[in-house]
Amino acid sequence: MKKILTVAEMALRELLRRRSVLLILLLLPLLFYLSRRGDHLGQAIRFVCLGLSWALSTAALFAGSAARGMEPRLRLSGYRGYHLYLGRLSALWTVGLLLSAPYFVLVLVDQHDVRYGPVALVMVLMVAVSAPFGLVLSSVLPRELEGTLVLLMVVGLQMMADPSSLIARLLPFWSSREIGTYAIDHTDTGYLTRGIAHGLLSAAILIAMVAVVSGIRLRRRSHLEF
Amino acid sequence: MNHDGWLSALAHELRRRGVGGDAVRQVVAEAAAHLRDGGGNPMQVFGPPATYASAVADSVGRPRRNPGEVLLEARGITKKYGRQTVLDGVDLTVRSGEIAAVIGANGCGKSTFLAVCAGLTGVDKGEVRIRGSLGYCPQDGGTAGFLDAGEHFVLIGAGRGMSREEAVRAGHAQAAALDWEPARGKQARHLSGGTRQKLNLVMAGLGEPDVLLLDEPYQGFDRGTYLDFWHQVWQWREAGKAIVVVTHLLNQLDRVDTVLELTPARKAVA
Amino acid sequence: MDQDRRGQWLRGVLAPCVLALVAERESYGYELAQSLDAAGLGPIQGGTLYPVLLRLQRFGLVTASWQDGTAGPARKYYRITAAGRETLRHATADWQEFSAGVASILREGR
Repeated sequence: MKKILTVAEMALRELLRRRSVLLILLLLPLLFYLSRRGDHLGQAIRFVCLGLSWALSTAALFAGSAARGMEPRLRLSGYRGYHLYLGRLSALWTVGLLLSAPYFVLVLVDQHDVRYGPVALVMVLMVAVSAPFGLVLSSVLPRELEGTLVLLMVVGLQMMADPSSLIARLLPFWSSREIGTYAIDHTDTGYLTRGIAHGLLSAAILIAMVAVVSGIRLRRRSHLEF
Repeated sequence: MNHDGWLSALAHELRRRGVGGDAVRQVVAEAAAHLRDGGGNPMQVFGPPATYASAVADSVGRPRRNPGEVLLEARGITKKYGRQTVLDGVDLTVRSGEIAAVIGANGCGKSTFLAVCAGLTGVDKGEVRIRGSLGYCPQDGGTAGFLDAGEHFVLIGAGRGMSREEAVRAGHAQAAALDWEPARGKQARHLSGGTRQKLNLVMAGLGEPDVLLLDEPYQGFDRGTYLDFWHQVWQWREAGKAIVVVTHLLNQLDRVDTVLELTPARKAVA
Repeated sequence: MDQDRRGQWLRGVLAPCVLALVAERESYGYELAQSLDAAGLGPIQGGTLYPVLLRLQRFGLVTASWQDGTAGPARKYYRITAAGRETLRHATADWQEFSAGVASILREGR
């Protein structure tokens, strides 16, 4: 437990010292929100959630890449793989939730006639999904640049694809649109349940992917015996 | 030669002969007190610093080093990258209280061999057995750019089960042995290359692992720090650790116990 | 006295003499050098004395501790151990036998 907390603490410190990443985290969702504020009701909410996802995924991508240099050493120093990714995820989730809070307040104050509970749910699910998504990208792709391009594609597709199409459903952030529709357009609870299921499943799959890739990369080599 | 000049030369000569830090302090202090009491020219009272230092080093003696148990044993290490064989049947045995130097021209697979021993890279054939805990210092990299030295110590220390204070204290002590005082709040990416390598080295030794694998860790060290580094390695040897140092600088070979030479022509010559 | 010969003799007897002095009472380097001089061995240089003390310490015949001086800096005081007393006893007996032998040979040769 202490190991996970230590990793989390250091990951948090690292994140807070990266000014550019912080700037993205703070401003991107705001820009997204403002860009659609004049539109018809609720688009701004959808966009701010997407902005939050993108920002947190980017932060996770950069955090994961930066950590790669130290991970073999940490492994040798006595950490198991799960200490490392659970610690990093905890730090990212904490940052994500802290970041979402003011945006939720913004929605509370600025948008009317929406179901606020589900909006909060969307933000929480997005935080849950974005952090492992960014980490998966960082562990699978060699450089931050490729990861950023992939993120760009994913977010772009999510915005443009028809929510009922297959492609949209395969994307990790689809649940935000579904639950968003439930919250904004006051539809039936089917949207809510589908969205929750997709969100939880995405989060679970992505966390599992992080675990597997980490396990492979940091595996105890068979030729080494203690 | 005045007193202070002679005394600092004495300290230097003692350390070069491998006399331990505490003993050096005592010998120098005692000589200083003697000169204070009796006056006179140190060159006459004690002789040249080098001569006196040799006499002291002989009298203090080197602690009897038992052969020690085998802490690292690599057998038949073979690794290929595609069609190219980098390591072919390499063996190495290092006991407690021994230093092994791995030498060879660039590209001979020295770093690869060390990475294999550390378990960071796979092999096609062979096995490595290690008794005790392991520390590894890469040639470069291996640090978190946005954390300062103290935070690095805490991070590594927590893995080895050390408390924060312990880890920071130990880290600073080892840093002092390399003539480095880590500044709080100075992020690793702002450190000079040589200082970052000092951080790497301290991290490798944090928590007193039994086996140390050092991959040319002295990149960017100035001459004084280079000597401090070897001094630290000898101290680790006295403490009973097994140390493997990859090096292409051969002038310290008379102070190591085993030399493993890797040649590009496949077979290893031990 | 011939310095060369004196040097050779000193090499043999300095350690037991130092032990004897330290057995009498705890003392530090400079004081020991002065006592040895006063006793008739002539001036003993630091470069000769301290390696002897270090060797005695290494073999456990004396122990050392740093003590703050009343006037001035700390000094390293040496004290004899039980093993040291034992060694001293043997060395004294050996020396008496040896020096008596030497004296008798030299008397004969006169």
